[in-house]
Amino acid sequence: MTTSAPAQPGRTYRPMTAWRLERLRMTRSPRAISLMAVYLFFGLLGPLTAKFLQDIVNRAQPGIQIIVAHPTPRDGIANFISQAGQTGLVVTVVIAASALTFDARRGLSTFLRTRVDNMWQLVVPRFVVSVTATIAAYTIGTLAAWYETALLLGPPPVAAMLAGLLCGSVYLIFAVSVASLAASVARGTLAVVGLALGGLLALPLIGLAAPLHDWLPSTLLTASVELLGHAGLSDYLPALASGVVGSALLLTAATLRLGRREV
Amino acid sequence: MAATLMRPASASPPGDDSPAIATFGLTRDYGGTGLFDVDLRVPRNCVYGLVGPNGAGKTTMLSIITGMRHSDRGAVEVAVPRPRVAVCPDVPEFDGWLTAFEVVDLARSFVAQERTSRDVLDALVATGLSDAASKRVGGFSRGMTQRLGLACAMVGDPLLLILDEPTSALDPAGRADVLALVARLRGRCTVIFSSHILADVQRVADHVGILRAGRMMYQGPTRELIDTYLQPRWLLRVAGDIAAVLAAIQAQPWVTRVQDTGGGELQIEAVSLEAGERGIPAALADCGARQVSCEPMAADLESAFLALTRDKP
Repeated sequence: MTTSAPAQPGRTYRPMTAWRLERLRMTRSPRAISLMAVYLFFGLLGPLTAKFLQDIVNRAQPGIQIIVAHPTPRDGIANFISQAGQTGLVVTVVIAASALTFDARRGLSTFLRTRVDNMWQLVVPRFVVSVTATIAAYTIGTLAAWYETALLLGPPPVAAMLAGLLCGSVYLIFAVSVASLAASVARGTLAVVGLALGGLLALPLIGLAAPLHDWLPSTLLTASVELLGHAGLSDYLPALASGVVGSALLLTAATLRLGRREV
Repeated sequence: MAATLMRPASASPPGDDSPAIATFGLTRDYGGTGLFDVDLRVPRNCVYGLVGPNGAGKTTMLSIITGMRHSDRGAVEVAVPRPRVAVCPDVPEFDGWLTAFEVVDLARSFVAQERTSRDVLDALVATGLSDAASKRVGGFSRGMTQRLGLACAMVGDPLLLILDEPTSALDPAGRADVLALVARLRGRCTVIFSSHILADVQRVADHVGILRAGRMMYQGPTRELIDTYLQPRWLLRVAGDIAAVLAAIQAQPWVTRVQDTGGGELQIEAVSLEAGERGIPAALADCGARQVSCEPMAADLESAFLALTRDKP
């Protein structure tokens, strides 16, 4: 439905919905640009630093000769993943947390909560739009890294790149789900970010216990690199499954908890 | 913690005089403060003023009614469908990057999808925000934000409007506008209006509930409360010879005290309301005085509130 402009005749207004609210949250604040900029920046920087690592080392340590192995396409992608995997994860969690912490402001919380039939109406658009924007930014970063790697270091295998993109995307979905659960535990954005990042960083520690390692979604973070080596997508099926199921469970738990929360 | 028993809306037949909201033994104990065994009755289509000092339990009561908090025990019965219940908190907050029109349109999309952008604009016009419709709300003053909260509440054509301290952030002109808006809603929808500004409540509320320390001290028509605690005391203004009038009033057997307060005014106290209401006009007529005005003193909600809270510790 499109309605005529009531405030400025001649201009067309699109009706507001909870989904449009989230799209506007991304585009009218620096959220979407920040996400894109971070992943694109590291997508372009990663292969470049792999290609010129020897020159960088030589300039940084004059008088000492350090021989760096000849860079491969895997090194280009590995640089992108290691750099974007940290900064990009923090930005992703901050953006998801800022959308999901509507209870941080009582007036806003009252406005939203007293107008919806159930908490899903508020949580799902926030979750889906955050996930979509994050995966879009991650994909753009990956494509940039892929293109530049192919240009500077040689083409990485297409199937492995696509499989890596899938694994990375599932991990980011899981990360936003963890932020959702954190938003049902704490109210302030800073507290939610701290809680979510703490949980996400604790997962690899749990992975030190060998039997669990293959099932942990945190394994997916570096899958893009391993898949360019000897690993196959089948090695990551347990982590993919636990990532998808875990995300669904975390989102459900978050929504139920938010629905019961008092304001 | 036991969840509040919320009895949903049911279609009420014409002429149904059941309350729009009723609570039964509503209790929420925050360790000595909160709400205790409150039986609220809000008649349909009235403006109900919920008054009380800070910490009396007004916000807790409204939060439980709107489902934002749970009660320890008791039940809430709201005879209005949920989409037709609108709530405006004391400090409304919105995403600052939305325009006023978008904020109200968002409220419309949640509760009244069948309504149009025309209804959104009407709500903005009714709250004096039509000129700010396309401005981002991040730059709004607190008063404008309060009006925006009211516009969001109005856009769904509510049958029950719950306003928590709606005039607390407004300047005198803004207060007058909001009170006039609330007064216009009388008969069209039920309004619960919490405030500690008793003059505002007296101006628009035809029913009042007085909360103190979490307990309902009085509930009923505002006029009845004021009359109950009305003192038999009047301020009489006359033109001409004030001394003759003073002597005539002093000679009346029902007068307990009369005082010339200057400026052609006399303060008269009587043995009862009825004695004064009958006696003053008769005494003035007997002495041929020219009456300018005669009005009861302390005939306001604040005096009644103070008397009520003084009488019942």
